[in-house]
Amino acid sequence: MYNLVLKDVRLAVPPFFFILPFLIGALMLIPGWIYFIVLLYFCWITIPNLFNQFKAQNDLMFTSVLPVAKRDMVKARVAVIVGLELLHIVIAAIFGSISMVLYPDVTYYFFPPNMGFWGLNLVMLAIFNLIFIPMFYKTAYKFGWALFAAVTAAMLFAGIAQWLGIQSPVVNDLFYGTGTQQVTLQAFILIAGIMIFAALSIMASRLAVKRFLRVEL
Amino acid sequence: MLALDIRNVNKSYPNFQLKNVSFQLEKGYIMGFIGANGAGKTTTIKSILNMTRMDSGEIHVFGKNMANHEFELKQEIGYAMGGAEFYTRCKVKALTDVIKKFYAHWDDETYRIYLRKFKLDENKRIAELSTGMKVKYSIAIALSHGAKLLILDEPTSGLDPVARDELLDIFQGLVADGEISILFSTHITSDLEKCADFITFIEDGQIVRSGEKEEFKESYLLLNGAATQLNQVKDRLISYKMNSFGFTGLILAGDYEHSWNMKAATPSLEEIMVYFAKKEDAYV
Repeated sequence: MYNLVLKDVRLAVPPFFFILPFLIGALMLIPGWIYFIVLLYFCWITIPNLFNQFKAQNDLMFTSVLPVAKRDMVKARVAVIVGLELLHIVIAAIFGSISMVLYPDVTYYFFPPNMGFWGLNLVMLAIFNLIFIPMFYKTAYKFGWALFAAVTAAMLFAGIAQWLGIQSPVVNDLFYGTGTQQVTLQAFILIAGIMIFAALSIMASRLAVKRFLRVEL
Repeated sequence: MLALDIRNVNKSYPNFQLKNVSFQLEKGYIMGFIGANGAGKTTTIKSILNMTRMDSGEIHVFGKNMANHEFELKQEIGYAMGGAEFYTRCKVKALTDVIKKFYAHWDDETYRIYLRKFKLDENKRIAELSTGMKVKYSIAIALSHGAKLLILDEPTSGLDPVARDELLDIFQGLVADGEISILFSTHITSDLEKCADFITFIEDGQIVRSGEKEEFKESYLLLNGAATQLNQVKDRLISYKMNSFGFTGLILAGDYEHSWNMKAATPSLEEIMVYFAKKEDAYV
């Protein structure tokens, strides 16, 4: 599987997509912006471009004649997607911390980039993975509807979370608060986010393997 | 020893079926796998490589069941597809560096030898290679990872006669020492007249015949007769064509009777293919 990941990094994923997280992450420097958009750019730009690239390069046929298991083809691809997601989130979080230091007095109408917010982002990407990956592996080449469904679900989650953050005093206090109690809770939300992201991504990978085993290459 | 042993492979698609496909390739020989477009050549090859799920049947490579030893056997199989394009903007060197990691017995020395032999420039991009060069590159890769069975799916299609002839010489050179075996699918039958030892003929998802090339051809006869003689033999012909001199038809050599007093000759592979295709048309 390691060789398959290496193949994607060296051949299938253009270097631009390893630089893009820095460009998109820098958007965190816009004070008080709706930061959910930063990670949604990954779903809007990186994913469709990457999957078009795989298709254009005939990656599926190239990989399937190599001595590799179909199961590992899926697992390696999921590892690459998850890796890129983590790269995006870590870089955005670093820019987020810089943003908070740069503008200490800004009033956040949308979620501030704290640990709780990153927990929500992980859940958003987990939902995206759970829908996109298994839907894509039904054919292993068509990704349009899978992308549409997954992006819609991710945006709905972000929209609802943000709406609650503004409308509900409890949620607002939890995510916007800077007191010790709120910060502790935000750390827990981050940990829960990490766990949900891991669990749903593993589930997505397993469902995708099951579907891909039935695909005729 | 059998390099490839295919037994009773069945596979159904909504509009196409592989029916009881069986044939064997002896180690150290070239087998031509012929059939019209859509006859089932690529589906059979995909079944060999486990890229498609068979409904039933067994495939053994060097005596081992492909279903149980896929990874081990894929190390020993080289695959080249004419016209298939992968990572075309990538340099030969970069592509090789990625591919070689997957093979336990990769030999850089052998790779260098074939690069020189085939005059392949590692710094060229795949898209800059001619069609013939791409096939040579696939063969160089296969031989460098120690492949003993080469499965070539239409490797000569789209090549000019000079490049085709050169490749055929290469294929013959490879099997000369008896270690490497080649399954060579094509619809360009003249290539097989030149280099194949065995022929397997597939038509509409079924193997019509598989055997030594000359025996294969001699098992059929091409009859030429006057139009008035047609009715006498019509039922025994596989199919026939009318022309201004009378008719020309293909018949199984065993069905031919000397008393008919007609001109009979051994057909070429192309003629066998064409007359079988005509038979299919007659039933449509």
